Amino acid sequence: MSESDPQLSASANVETYQPTIAHITRADELTSTEMLLELQLDDGQVLGHAAGQFVQVSVFGVGEAPISVCSSPTQTGSFELCVRAAGNVTNALHRLEVGDWVGIRGPYGHGFPVEEMVRKDILIVAGGIGLPPLRPLINLVLENREQYGRLIIVYGARLPKELLFKDELDSWADRGDVELYVIVEQPDDDWPGPVGVVTVPLRDIDIEPAQTVVAAAVGPPVMYRFVAFELLGKNIAAENIYFSLERRMKCGVGKCGHCQLNNLYVCVDGPVFCYSDLQGLDEAVEAWAPPTAEAGGERQEPGKGHG
Amino acid sequence: MTTQTKPRVAFFDFACCEGCQLEVLSLEEQLLDMVELVDIVTWREAMSEKSDDYDIAFCEGSITREADIERIKHIRETADILVSLGACATIGCHNALKNQFSMDEVLYIVYGDRAEWFDTIPARPISAVVPVDYQVNGCPASLPEFLTVFKHILMGKEYKPPNQPVCVECKLKDNLCVYDKGLLCLGPVTRCGCDAICTSYGHTCFGCRGLVDEPNLNAAQDVLAKYGLSVEEIVGKFRVYNNWPELSLEESQSDG
Amino acid sequence: MSICVIEHDELCALVERLIRQWPVMGPRQRKQQPGFYYFDWLRSADELVWDYVTTTLPPKKAFFPPREPFLEFSRPDPAKVRPITDQGPFVLLGVHPCDLAAIEQLDIAYSDNAADGRYLANRARTTAIIGVDCWPDEYCFCTSVGTEQARGPADLFLTPIGRGYLVEVRTPRGQKLLGDTAQLLATDEDEADAAYFRSEKQRRITAQLETTVEQFADILAEGGLTEVWQKVADRCYSCGSCNLVCPTCFCFDINDDINLDLTTGTRIRTWDSCQLPDFALVAGGYNFRRERWERVRHRWHRKFLYLYTQYGQPFCTGCGRCSRACTADINLVEVSNDLIAYAQREKRNV
Ligand SMILES: Cc1cc2nc3c(=O)[nH]c(=O)nc-3n(C[C@H](O)[C@H](O)[C@H](O)COP(=O)(O)OP(=O)(O)OC[C@H]3O[C@@H](n4cnc5c(N)ncnc54)[C@H](O)[C@@H]3O)c2cc1C
Ligand code: SF4
Ligand code: SF4
Ligand code: SF4
Ligand code: SF4
Ligand code: SF4
Ligand code: FES
Repeated sequence: MSESDPQLSASANVETYQPTIAHITRADELTSTEMLLELQLDDGQVLGHAAGQFVQVSVFGVGEAPISVCSSPTQTGSFELCVRAAGNVTNALHRLEVGDWVGIRGPYGHGFPVEEMVRKDILIVAGGIGLPPLRPLINLVLENREQYGRLIIVYGARLPKELLFKDELDSWADRGDVELYVIVEQPDDDWPGPVGVVTVPLRDIDIEPAQTVVAAAVGPPVMYRFVAFELLGKNIAAENIYFSLERRMKCGVGKCGHCQLNNLYVCVDGPVFCYSDLQGLDEAVEAWAPPTAEAGGERQEPGKGHG
Repeated sequence: MTTQTKPRVAFFDFACCEGCQLEVLSLEEQLLDMVELVDIVTWREAMSEKSDDYDIAFCEGSITREADIERIKHIRETADILVSLGACATIGCHNALKNQFSMDEVLYIVYGDRAEWFDTIPARPISAVVPVDYQVNGCPASLPEFLTVFKHILMGKEYKPPNQPVCVECKLKDNLCVYDKGLLCLGPVTRCGCDAICTSYGHTCFGCRGLVDEPNLNAAQDVLAKYGLSVEEIVGKFRVYNNWPELSLEESQSDG
Repeated sequence: MSICVIEHDELCALVERLIRQWPVMGPRQRKQQPGFYYFDWLRSADELVWDYVTTTLPPKKAFFPPREPFLEFSRPDPAKVRPITDQGPFVLLGVHPCDLAAIEQLDIAYSDNAADGRYLANRARTTAIIGVDCWPDEYCFCTSVGTEQARGPADLFLTPIGRGYLVEVRTPRGQKLLGDTAQLLATDEDEADAAYFRSEKQRRITAQLETTVEQFADILAEGGLTEVWQKVADRCYSCGSCNLVCPTCFCFDINDDINLDLTTGTRIRTWDSCQLPDFALVAGGYNFRRERWERVRHRWHRKFLYLYTQYGQPFCTGCGRCSRACTADINLVEVSNDLIAYAQREKRNV
């Protein structure tokens, strides 16, 4: 009798959850809570990610966390992660120094449909820690600037000191071919720009709806709802709006169930979704009613239109 | 930590049976591993030396007297990290049973006509008096959680007590549910972390680790009735351990 | 493939031989509480009970353990990050038809898309599976979801008959497994015995979904059932037992466990439950299924709508474990029938 089942062992590879080792080649503090890590996979392996994909990062003894790759896909020798200290794994990542190592699984998930964006006007909407997953897309567009129409970037943060990639923001602002709007919710005395949330500049931007593709990652769940409302109000079709979503993740490969959103797995079917695929799903964008005083945001009254 | 050398650990006790410290002493082998990592400088249960210079303080027991308040404040000021150890320190436990009575009554019950010689205040968990960095729940303190917390402290990790009921650990161990033996169990509303030790030995869980964040105490009144139990009896069971803050049925009703 | 008859003593001898050859897991009676059963590794054939009622945990625990350390590491040394692969092949005995169907479903789900190599490696160690037909209790409803007959990965399947067992040899592996076990020719009488057993089993199944699985999926997709969900949620403790005992549930958590040297440790996969309050909680305190009723709904949706749509069969085998385990007496069949009745009432009212 055979000792194992040939059918099952054909695809049996115990290493699904086995990370590849990567070493840290640069560690920069971007803000008091965000750190930019540059990593190199051992043995010269190339990560080979698409814009909008994420990796599972391991700090052994602490755990794993899903983090978006925030460097351009065309940069292959190394890749970058922008990590906000939010809990145990992310804090442990903050304590790492150049030369330290971590485990990397992935890249996982679906990124932005870059091909569909060629010759289109591109509107990027980023809120807070939403900028890092969009940065590879911005980089790609800037690297092949002539292939695309307008590049409009709307970026909002809570405080001026929480703005990420400040040098890059400046360099984008200096280019004649990027329309950049940066807004903060709580200005300090030196803040020269507008005050409010990302939907504010969005309201005033003139766009050609049929010609525009939107890529958005806007942090708190409820913001997605506001942004969707604003974009639809500008007559942009849901088919041309792409959202990068965040959910709790453990496996990254559609097995552990944690990231499930109705019938979709955010880790496999997303994290980048076309808004038209999310409409009508009561666990996606519409589920989040406007925020109340409570930080977590309040759910819609149960029983209204879904269930 | 204040020193380059091993962190210094102290154990203190307030109103309690000191069972938690005994429980920790029972670790034996793991204790040897622990002292590789830390220096234990004060531990009345285990040693005679005493030091007032420590980084990590494990405090057992409830705060029940004015003098306790001063003492715990001093410990809080001295230690970088304060850990409440065991149910008395984390949720008030049996000590807080007296909160159902007036303080005069309590003194009279305990000390009779010598009552006026003693001062007592409503028993409270340590976190009601000073900020606490880590908690080890359980009566006695759950050893699996004690070790987890110990490791979290040394690795600089935050520890959130698991917001899951004992049933989870009980099921993972393939125990027979004590309900199947016709007994009532508080597992479905009690915070896990003890590795379901009582139900694994065939006993019921009596809720010593406190309630989960959103317990549904009204979940199954008719089921309880089937077991010949009333909601009052259930609350009575809870009272044994969960007296601070006063547990009222209305407050703890599920919102889900 | 082929059919034969094996007498009871011969079967015992076969089990003894298997136990000598491999680790063998099968149903055993609980010493403390007769009448209750669980799957465990067997030391001798007498421990095995063929005619048991459904166990607490399903047999998936043999190849998908509740807590499985799958990776070891040493913090200073990246070369010491290694998969844990110290287990060898084993045999699984005494699996009921519903649980066979569940194993088949897990195989499907875990092979799909990016296959779960860890699971498949463990399944590949499952040298053989012997199934056995069963008597229902009041919670069984396999006939409503089409799992009452042996299917899936059983190499041998036994049906109790007068003079022992009618044995379906379903795979070449099953044939090899029998080895020199005395195999009697199955007579018409044996076949009639087995047919009687099967029809009697079906007759005794009282719990029943009051619609087809297709229509039930439609009803769930249609929605508008919040009132029923909330009624269930009012009773529900969110304790997770219903998921943790389910043979088709496959959600899990991954955590690191470090040793007291603070240097070496293991990464562990643990069964998880979507009913637990923090299942969909992310950093920042956002909980994507915060309300109890949303979690209750998710359990039904996942089993009878999402996975049904994805794989063409509900991920529920009618084993009844969730209802048996629920300390709040939430019964899957009763709730499902409430949903069906509610939907039908609503339809009539519009
Ligand atoms: C696709 C995706 C891309 C992401 N990209 C980035 C990024 O580029 N930069 C960044 O800083 N963060 C990113 N995040 C968020 C990041 O994964 C979480 O902040 C991180 O997992 C928290 O883990 P922790 O161990 O530090 O916190 P924990 O100590 O585990 O817990 C802190 C909080 O995070 C929640 N949490 C635990 N595990 C997860 C999880 N797996 N996913 C989400 N929340 C969790 C907990 O419920 C808790 O509320 C991304 C998340 C996803 C799903
Ligand atoms: S014995 Fe208690 S803790 Fe265990 S499953 Fe039953 S109710 Fe839950
Ligand atoms: S099973 Fe219950 S009573 Fe026993 S230690 Fe755990 S929480 Fe305490
Ligand atoms: S559900 Fe059906 S197959 Fe499963 S144990 Fe019950 S009767 Fe047997
Ligand atoms: S076992 Fe019952 S009480 Fe527990 S989560 Fe499931 S349905 Fe709710
Ligand atoms: S949902 Fe319940 S009845 Fe269905 S397979 Fe799971 S435990 Fe069995
Ligand atoms: S992260 Fe596990 S299913 Fe998506």
